[in-house]
Amino acid sequence: MQKNEPANQGVPDEDDLLLVERVLAGDRRAFEPLVRRHERRVFRVTLAVLGNIEDAEEVMQDTFVKAFRHLDQFRREARFTTWLTRIAINEAIQKRSTRKNLVPLAEAETAKEQFTPKRHESWKSNPEQFYAKQEIHRIIEDAIQSLPEIYREAFILRDIEELNAEEAAQALGITVAALKSRLLRARLMMRESLAEKFEEPPTLKTKIVHTAVDVGTTVAMRLMRAAGR
Amino acid sequence: MKTMDCKDVLANLSCYIDGEGSAELRTALEEHISRCRRCRVVFDTTSRMLKIVTGTAPFEVPLSVSARLYARLEKVLSEV
Repeated sequence: MQKNEPANQGVPDEDDLLLVERVLAGDRRAFEPLVRRHERRVFRVTLAVLGNIEDAEEVMQDTFVKAFRHLDQFRREARFTTWLTRIAINEAIQKRSTRKNLVPLAEAETAKEQFTPKRHESWKSNPEQFYAKQEIHRIIEDAIQSLPEIYREAFILRDIEELNAEEAAQALGITVAALKSRLLRARLMMRESLAEKFEEPPTLKTKIVHTAVDVGTTVAMRLMRAAGR
Repeated sequence: MKTMDCKDVLANLSCYIDGEGSAELRTALEEHISRCRRCRVVFDTTSRMLKIVTGTAPFEVPLSVSARLYARLEKVLSEV
């Protein structure tokens, strides 16, 4: 997938390393540009895990404080952003575990069943242009926030922060297969939720045509399957 | 070539969007969506949802949240 906005705003990783070196050499002011480069990612991942701004803010602060205090433990063979993201996710997961309303196991279990899309109408050609910038932000953010947390974190880490499947799975402490299954469901749920706003309202004529096509396809597929047996 | 049904398409949708899967699987999925309107819509709108979401770049850090972060770091950085 094309990166519209790389997580570290397109600034090369080497710049992170230079800033880290400066901080370790005693120039504490160099930590501030390092924070500026990564605050958005840290905010998003903590929000992904925790689901509300208040907790995300607290954990974001703790993450940067911890990163500053343990900067000498950063191993240069890893990317700074990966190291920092891991701290952020660990802090967020720890915070979440202190909450009383833990995610019921049943929610994780439902991931095994396939999610069935309910909306099958095409979308307008550029649906986002029908809304003001602020409104489209609200629509997207509300849809993401409404995802159950195991899907929300998979979606944000993979599709917004663009971690690869292995990185995201490792960060969340789950298998790659589980990550992929959650991501699929998250994407389908997001599609379903946005369809309400973005669909082209069907006319009676298109409804009739679509029904006829769908019925025809189903019949054709059954016939093909029967013929293949 | 193995034919796919709608359930197979759905199960492999993410994989296809992420450019994964064997050539055979990708061809079978493409073949299915070329003749199944419902799957075509699901595939098309899921891809578009992803483009819209990444294009929107959601979740800016609110200014007040950012200001409090720097205020706290200021204190930490000035600790001896």
